[in-house]
Amino acid sequence: MIQKKVCMVGVFGTGKTSLVQRFIHSRFSEKYHSTVGVKIDRKAMTVAGQEVNLVLWDLAGRDEHQDISGSYLRGAHAAFFVVDGTRRETLTQLPDLRRIVREHAGDVPAVVALNKADLVDQWALTHDDEALLRADGVHVLRTSAKAGENVEAAFTHLGWAVLAAREGSA
Amino acid sequence: MARERVAGTPRLQVERGGAAPPPAAPPLPAPLPPAADELAELRRLLLAPERRQLEALQQRLDAMGLTAADVAAQLPEAIALRGGQDRQLARALAPTIDDALGEAVRRNPRDIATAIFPVLGPAIRKAIAETMAELVSSINRALEHSFSVRGLQWRLESWRTGVPYAQVVMKHALVYRVEQAFLIHAETGLLLAHVSPPDLSVTDADLISGMMTAIRDFVGDSFGEAEKGAGGLRTFAVGELTVMVEQGPRALLAAVVRGQAPPALLRRLQDTLEAVHFQYALPLASFDGDTAPFEPAKPLLAECLETVLSTDRPREVGGRVAWLPWAVLAMLALVAFGWWRWREGQRFARAVAALEAEPGFALLRAERDGGRWQFAGLRDPLARDPRTVLAEAGADTAAVRDRWAPHLSFDPGLVAARARAVLAAPASVRLEVRGDTLVGGGAAPIPWLVRQRAQVVPPPGVQHVRLGAVEPLLPAALVPVAAEVAGERVLFALGSSALDGAAGTALDRVAARLRQLDRALEADGFVAEVRLTGRADTVGTEAANAELSRERADAVRRALGARGVGVTTLESVGLGTAEPLAAPTPAERARLNRSVSFTVRLVPDAAEEGSR
Repeated sequence: MIQKKVCMVGVFGTGKTSLVQRFIHSRFSEKYHSTVGVKIDRKAMTVAGQEVNLVLWDLAGRDEHQDISGSYLRGAHAAFFVVDGTRRETLTQLPDLRRIVREHAGDVPAVVALNKADLVDQWALTHDDEALLRADGVHVLRTSAKAGENVEAAFTHLGWAVLAAREGSA
Repeated sequence: MARERVAGTPRLQVERGGAAPPPAAPPLPAPLPPAADELAELRRLLLAPERRQLEALQQRLDAMGLTAADVAAQLPEAIALRGGQDRQLARALAPTIDDALGEAVRRNPRDIATAIFPVLGPAIRKAIAETMAELVSSINRALEHSFSVRGLQWRLESWRTGVPYAQVVMKHALVYRVEQAFLIHAETGLLLAHVSPPDLSVTDADLISGMMTAIRDFVGDSFGEAEKGAGGLRTFAVGELTVMVEQGPRALLAAVVRGQAPPALLRRLQDTLEAVHFQYALPLASFDGDTAPFEPAKPLLAECLETVLSTDRPREVGGRVAWLPWAVLAMLALVAFGWWRWREGQRFARAVAALEAEPGFALLRAERDGGRWQFAGLRDPLARDPRTVLAEAGADTAAVRDRWAPHLSFDPGLVAARARAVLAAPASVRLEVRGDTLVGGGAAPIPWLVRQRAQVVPPPGVQHVRLGAVEPLLPAALVPVAAEVAGERVLFALGSSALDGAAGTALDRVAARLRQLDRALEADGFVAEVRLTGRADTVGTEAANAELSRERADAVRRALGARGVGVTTLESVGLGTAEPLAAPTPAERARLNRSVSFTVRLVPDAAEEGSR
């Protein structure tokens, strides 16, 4: 059995826990629960005929009082960055978050989910923002935990990425 | 500089080498020394670099100081040294030895079988013994839990809550149980391997593993790097569970313990974690999510799992209930033994009483030594066999040891018996002791009576002997004579005491027989005493009849006296109509009772007695 540690990283309230809930339990709750510390979940999936067990570390979001804990990032095989598409400041903090991840986990595969894509009228990001990210070599998807849009695709991409990284290292 | 040093040495070598050629030189013509020099010079120029290389290699080898012979000499010591330090050598060699052993077994199984046979036998025996011990222990445990009050309470609880009885017992009797062991990759927190007992189903072990790592990270972050370096969070409790975590450089070993975990458990976790680090050094270092290489580590982890129940502890009073049947048995045995002892005591007392009561025995010592009875004392030779006495008292004579010294008993019975023996008394004589006198009774033949007269010393135990009451017995030859006399009857007419002719004839015959008896007995000092019994019929008054019967007896006495029969030996009595003789008819009865009849008795001759 291949197991991979995936860290959900982002500013508070971007929808990290909601994405995990949607991905694992196919459900969505309008209620907001702030994650304290870290919550761990697991999802087994098959990528290219290979069973992979993704152990999802749903880290507490960054706020002005609490930065992302480096300890939780240690040994992560992949990072799942979540940006709230309706709050532009969550995007501006992304480079710094990526730096932190690189510091503690190294140069690991990553995706950036521009979440809350269902809130089209409140959308605060531009195509240029996405293009910049892509130009930086980042896999970017618009997701909606509420609608289920691109959630599976984002995680599957990570699955591919970690397996590919493994193949590459081997 | 180094170059110069290296260069310098070959020169030295060359000079030494230059000394070598002379043995090869002689074949060369003597006048050619310059040519030989040139050859040497040429060789030096041509081969110098190779020589230098050879020299360097030689030096390196010397510097290392390692030749095969050297290694061989050092190897055992080196192995012993390293083996004493830690177990790394054994672990490193283990795979090689495994392979070698496997190869050897494959090539020649018989040799291996022969070699390990002495090991296998005891091992198998030990395994069986352990299994039996375990079985006995389970039975004891089952007994204890089945019969104790506690056991009943647990049964009730099981019935009430619907939880299986075994689990209730486990819950109460549990000291501690290592329920799960997690081998966790230190960096990622991913679960490498997990073990738990078959009866415990654990889901989400990988989540628990992750959370455990996260919690440790959190605690580490909260308390700072210093605490983290010291091993971080090592123990934490969740309800009844305690999680003990042992931290290694690349992996963690976490044990989930229910109950009171002993400190020794941490030590075992450390050992296991060290072994894991050693055996899986490579997979741990290159771990990138694939847990398959750690599958074989599960048996190693399983060694950490264990269940310790209070009933497994020898100091517990757990044996108490299991002892109960034994205690009851022991009590029964004690009671039975006591009863047997008491009964034996009773039998012994009876035997002692019987011996003490038995004439002729003086019991001096009576002892009971286990089942063996011992008696010692004095016994009169005439007393009964002691075995007979004991057997009558109910004793087992086979278990009796007795010793009797002979003595004379003054028990009256034995004195009489001894007197009988001393006097050679016939069975018809009765002998009994009254005070200090032996009194005779019954009857005895005249010769024996005659012999007693000569006896001057009384038998032991008595001072006097009285044999006067012993009736003399007629010698066989005289019995018909006496019978003839007794058969005669003198008859009288009605109311008369006069002797008629027939009476006279009868009296003649009687007188003759009496004289015959007297003559025969005279020598022995005995006489025949004749008693004359007169009777009357019922006619007339009683007084008249008594007088008449007396007159009739007297008439006969006078008539016999006239015929020369000693007066003293004749005794006449008149019975009147008392004790009448029986007859079929009244007339015949009246005739028969008008009579005098004769009774003969032997008595010592009075004259003879007086002369003695």
